[in-house]
Amino acid sequence: MDPQQKNPLRDFAPQLERTSIQGYAWIAFLLGVIGLGFYAFMDQVLNGHIVTGMRDNVVWGVYIVNFIFFMGVSYAGALISGTLHLFKTAWRKPVIRMAEFITVISLLIGPCFILLCIGRLDRLPYLILFGRIQSPITWDVIAISTDIFGCFIFLYLAILRDLATLRDYELLQLPKWRKKIYKTLALGYTGTPEQQERLNRATDIMATMVIAIAIIVYSVLAWIFSVTLQPGWHSTIFGPYFVIAAVYSGSAVLIISMWVFRKVYHLEEYITKKHFVSVGVIMLVLAAFFGYFTFSDYLTKWYGSEKNDELLIQLLFKKFYWPFIISNYVGVLLPLIVVGIARFRTIRNITLTAVVVVIALWLNRYIIVVPTLESPYLPIQDARPEWLNYSATWVEWSLTATGVAVFCLLFTLASKFITIVPVSGIEGEGKKEDVLI
Amino acid sequence: MFFLLALGSLVIQPERSFAEGNTDSTSTAVESKLALNYLCGADTVTLTATLGIKKGDATLALKNAWVELTASNGTICKLLGKAKTDQEGNAVIKAASSGLPADKDGMVAFSAKFAGNAKYPAAEASFKAKPAKIRLFFSIEDSLRILKVTATEKNEKGEEIAIPKEKVLIYIPRLFSLLKIGEIALDEQGTGTMEFPKEIVGDTLGNLMVVAKIEENDKFGFVQGQNIINWGVHKQYYKAEVPSRELWTPIAPLWMIITLIVMLAGVWAHYIYAVYELVMIRRLSKKDKPLF
Repeated sequence: MDPQQKNPLRDFAPQLERTSIQGYAWIAFLLGVIGLGFYAFMDQVLNGHIVTGMRDNVVWGVYIVNFIFFMGVSYAGALISGTLHLFKTAWRKPVIRMAEFITVISLLIGPCFILLCIGRLDRLPYLILFGRIQSPITWDVIAISTDIFGCFIFLYLAILRDLATLRDYELLQLPKWRKKIYKTLALGYTGTPEQQERLNRATDIMATMVIAIAIIVYSVLAWIFSVTLQPGWHSTIFGPYFVIAAVYSGSAVLIISMWVFRKVYHLEEYITKKHFVSVGVIMLVLAAFFGYFTFSDYLTKWYGSEKNDELLIQLLFKKFYWPFIISNYVGVLLPLIVVGIARFRTIRNITLTAVVVVIALWLNRYIIVVPTLESPYLPIQDARPEWLNYSATWVEWSLTATGVAVFCLLFTLASKFITIVPVSGIEGEGKKEDVLI
Repeated sequence: MFFLLALGSLVIQPERSFAEGNTDSTSTAVESKLALNYLCGADTVTLTATLGIKKGDATLALKNAWVELTASNGTICKLLGKAKTDQEGNAVIKAASSGLPADKDGMVAFSAKFAGNAKYPAAEASFKAKPAKIRLFFSIEDSLRILKVTATEKNEKGEEIAIPKEKVLIYIPRLFSLLKIGEIALDEQGTGTMEFPKEIVGDTLGNLMVVAKIEENDKFGFVQGQNIINWGVHKQYYKAEVPSRELWTPIAPLWMIITLIVMLAGVWAHYIYAVYELVMIRRLSKKDKPLF
């Protein structure tokens, strides 16, 4: 039997074997952005945080916003991939790998922004040496590090079958060292019933764990805010609100990833409109939940009429008017309209909506962090205006762009290492439906 | 990115946490503003020169600039010293109040001078005042706590004479600023008294710093005296009977420790099980056949 005709990898071989000129140009561009970020980072290291917009009053800025955003995207990837796996969702295969990549890559980038926010990186070991269990910061450190291990194990289990497939497919024109890596990482998996049973059991367990951990870890992150008495943060629904916002933003990032890889690797046959609509419906449901939580949070603050909450809401509707509107109105209503009304439900519209949702959710984190710090309970004395108001500097924007660039670069490299759509479920032309459904 | 941050953590210098000498770098026309504040203590005078740069409507503090402070009586000019401005633009010098050149009325003209540089023009400020002294005495009379204040100046012979009919304000330093607790009007002998309040919280021993001030006086400027007395309410630090959430408690609450251990043990046990399954898959591979 002709293996070239039979093996499903033939559709995915080009993405693994070759990188086009545009591909190299894209990687070079990303490296250029990362280079700019390195320059900004060195400026911050050498001159201190005075080069950022953070001051005595507003001690958290876009670094923390980025941290929350990337961690949210990561947990969303874990929740989506874990849920799709556990419920054996029929259409999951073309998108589940992307969700798994999103989980791990975002999880590597998010914590870096915390490190950028720390003024004295040389004191970082103190977190371990003198960490207090009573501190939510310690909870976060423990939770994130636990999550990183869990997500890596889950990703590894999820790609093991494909690693074995890549190892065994002789027609794949790859350098020897890559073949050797596949061979080593495949752990000798050959798909015997016992191996399959063990792999399925481990994957099911880890899928359950990553869902539970993602919820707990993102709740811990929310509690860092909500256990304080700061206006806008001291909310009992912040845990579930953060989790919903995270999955919401992650579903949008997943749709954008699907669109990009579909275009770049010509996967129109595998990632169809059905997949966009399916993930779009997830996004729609999450948009409704997100809108409900947002309304519930601000309604109780507004109706309670506590002085500082009122000041905060006034600030949101004046100085932060457009971010507030885009985040909490446009970001909620657009998916409901575009995905909800069948006439608008096209791949392009769903993807554009996802882009708007990503921007809206980033702004949502911004208006959670910054306005509260600009309206503190204890005003500092003799403060200069620039200490009271926050405005991100080029250093912060450069490092933000670097975070996005690193995300794109790692995603690109990951897709060059292993197929972006799992191929182990297809054993021949006749079984292609396993992927297509 | 981790590598970059790790590299940064190695080269970071604590002293460089904030920019050094990062003054206004613009070359457009600017105006230097110098203000001089004077405070006369028991034996010293404190001069604070505040240097700012006015550019348009904004005034920014100028740091790392040298300011020269002098005292003069019109004929003799004594250099008190040079000081560098800090982040707030303040250059502070303390000088002994004895030996300052005074005119026939005992007045001393203090002046601050910023010589200017290529970027910022020179500026000067001056202040004239007569050194004076405030003393605080504490006594108990008929079970009442009495604070007595005296204010003196020196005559041309160098003898201390009373300052009559002036208003002295009484303060207690608190966390952010001075808490005003009363006013005393001095009599002809430069003396005044007030009953000291009983409810003010001091340190753990009840010690209180009491500050008496003459403020914005045409002749004496700002004069300050201070003394310590243990008339405060003893501060009681809260001591939790059981471990609570506070970071300074020796150990976290038991429920928190148990929850953490149970959750971490549960999660990591599943991780270990998943890794165990991977190890078993590896072991089983010897008898397996290739997929293709």
